[in-house]
Amino acid sequence: MIPIEMFLGLSAVLFAVGAYGVLTKKNGLVVLMCIEMMLNAANINFIAFAAFFNDVAGQVFVIMAISVAAAEVAVGIAILLNLYKTSGTTDLEEINILRW
Amino acid sequence: MMFTEYAWLIPIIPLVAFLVIGFFGHRTPEGGGYIAVGAAGLAFVLSALVAYEVLTGRVTAPYVDQVLWLQISQGITLDFGLYLDNLAVLMMVFASLISTLIFIYSIGYMHDEGEKKRRYYTKVSLFLTAMLGLVMASNFLQMFIFWEIVGLCSYLLIGFWGFKHPKGEKASAAAASAAKKAFLVTRMGDVALLAGLFVLLNEFGTLNYAELFSAATLAAADSSAVALGSVLIFGGVIGKSAQFPLHDWLPDAMEGPTTVSALIHAATMVKAGVYLTARSFPLFVQSADVMLFVAIIGGVTAFYAATMALNNMNIKRVLAYSTLSQLGFMILALGAGGYVVATGVAGGVDVSGAKAFGYTAGVFHMMNHAFFKALLFLGAGSVIHAVGSEDMRQMGGLRKRMGITSITMLIGTLSIAGIPVFAGFWSKDFVLESVLVVAESSEPAAMIFLLLYLLALATAFMTAFYMFRLWFMTFCGEEGEASKHCHGESPPVMSYPLIALSVFAALSGFAILFGFNTTMTFQYVAGEFVVGGGGYAMLDVLEKIFTSPYAYLAIVIALLGIYAAYRMYYVRDLDPGRFNRDGQSALYQLLQRRYYFPQFYDGIALKMAYPAAMAVEEVDRKAVDGSVDGIANSLTGGSQMLRRIQTGFLQTYAAFVVGGVVVLIALIYIIGWITGGA
Repeated sequence: MIPIEMFLGLSAVLFAVGAYGVLTKKNGLVVLMCIEMMLNAANINFIAFAAFFNDVAGQVFVIMAISVAAAEVAVGIAILLNLYKTSGTTDLEEINILRW
Repeated sequence: MMFTEYAWLIPIIPLVAFLVIGFFGHRTPEGGGYIAVGAAGLAFVLSALVAYEVLTGRVTAPYVDQVLWLQISQGITLDFGLYLDNLAVLMMVFASLISTLIFIYSIGYMHDEGEKKRRYYTKVSLFLTAMLGLVMASNFLQMFIFWEIVGLCSYLLIGFWGFKHPKGEKASAAAASAAKKAFLVTRMGDVALLAGLFVLLNEFGTLNYAELFSAATLAAADSSAVALGSVLIFGGVIGKSAQFPLHDWLPDAMEGPTTVSALIHAATMVKAGVYLTARSFPLFVQSADVMLFVAIIGGVTAFYAATMALNNMNIKRVLAYSTLSQLGFMILALGAGGYVVATGVAGGVDVSGAKAFGYTAGVFHMMNHAFFKALLFLGAGSVIHAVGSEDMRQMGGLRKRMGITSITMLIGTLSIAGIPVFAGFWSKDFVLESVLVVAESSEPAAMIFLLLYLLALATAFMTAFYMFRLWFMTFCGEEGEASKHCHGESPPVMSYPLIALSVFAALSGFAILFGFNTTMTFQYVAGEFVVGGGGYAMLDVLEKIFTSPYAYLAIVIALLGIYAAYRMYYVRDLDPGRFNRDGQSALYQLLQRRYYFPQFYDGIALKMAYPAAMAVEEVDRKAVDGSVDGIANSLTGGSQMLRRIQTGFLQTYAAFVVGGVVVLIALIYIIGWITGGA
């Protein structure tokens, strides 16, 4: 059996990569994808602990989180699309009309 | 019913007129002029009734009626009310009477002013309110308030043409500047007056006349504080009554309408100073030195101002200098009379009104002067109205064109020159006599008073000369340039007040025989100060005047002055140019330039006050404003830098959040490691 540390390590790496992408990427779409990656890092943790403790509540929670994430992505992409329509770009640094 | 109980209505009536004209004057004929006349007339009638009751003893004088106004700690109270004695009612009667006549005259004189008439009548009504309030006040503070309001009205009315003068830009600038000058110069005196009131309040804890004028109170007080207070109060008098060295505003004040000059700068407001001196007599007589100072200022002003009237060509300016000179006469008489009382007080001797008739003389001259100088100014206004010029060289020969004006002005001129029977003769003789009494006494200051007497005699000569010079230049001889524009006598609304005033100017002198001699006196009897009583009987007055060689000397001197004017300006066989090298001599220039006093003032203002003001401004801008601005600037500058943190990029904020979380986790580990826990 694969020890739980492996899962936790994978999850941590995935989360860090996602966080790095959120902080540094300029393209809004990539940022959105990175957010999904961080979310899935959390999901991996849930699954790993569910298996480790033999408790299905973790799996239930993950299914719940995935469905919410799907809805969230739909909203996020709709916003991005509208942004693209109005400003002609998805570059986050260009979208600064509310900035000082 | 006693009318005196309703005396408080007297200043209220013009006050109501002030409000009504101020708000609705433009909807009434003549811009509210009739309302002003009506209010002044009503105030006069009521004043006359009150005066009758007070002077005939139906009301015990002084009639005091006051309410508590302010209570300050340490038992200092300030009241508000009325103090009516012989002096106050006299002032009320002649101020309201002359105001009524001048307001009537104004309806003709100001007729062409259009919209501005409302402003004029509003201001003069307020002036009358304040003037009546000033003389009726029951204490020094209340008096001071009204004193400032008359000063304000004076300022407003001198600057009446400050916005738009019928003669153009330059004249309106001169009017505005004259108004400012009058306001600022009198303010210098008012500061002294206010300081004097503080000294008195500190010493006595009250400013009520009724309490201050008790001999017992005054005797118990610190005499140097009383003397200091008196001198400071006299500083206010110097400003308001335009005495040397604060006299210079009055000639400039002639920039206002002539009716204003007649009302404020000849007949009433400038008399407020004389009134205040007479009112404060019990304080002033505590020190003979104060009274000597008063007399010297008066005598010097009388002489000094008369010299400047000798060669002036502006008809109103001549009258202004003459006003200064006559005010000096009044102050001189009060000083001389007060000196006698003061030495009596010091020696514990009773001084009756007959011994100290300088008080009577000063007050008497004040009343007579109000009549004849108002008459002269209104006559001058009538001439100016007709010919459109104030330069006497352009007048001349107006006698034929303006009959009533020339005759009424002749009466005024004879009166001020001191020709027997006319009002000015009686009071001027009394003034001279009151100075001579001290000069002939064995007082230590007798020599000074002798000198003042000689100055006053010289002034009498000059007065007769310059007044007849004015009359001859205006009404006799060849018709001048401006005379040709004259369109006849002024309308009846202007000439009837002249006639009325000329009756007073001719006859008011007889008041000294019928009552004035015993009611307007100041006595120190049995350790108390009393206004009224004592004084000479009618026959004594006549005997005193007509058996004294000095009275004849004064008449001869006046006649000499008239003769000199007659030769120079009527017959013209004596060329005035011979005496002054045709206006080139140093003395002539000195007089023309008012002894360089305006330059002196400007010098002080520009060389000393201006740099001081600049320095203060510098401190204000650099230190005061600098510190306030500095705090504000450092705040805005700091926030300018701080706001850079708010980039507006979500990613930056997210980075901060992540960084914060990392730091927190690190802290938890460090704390756990230090405390040795898990």
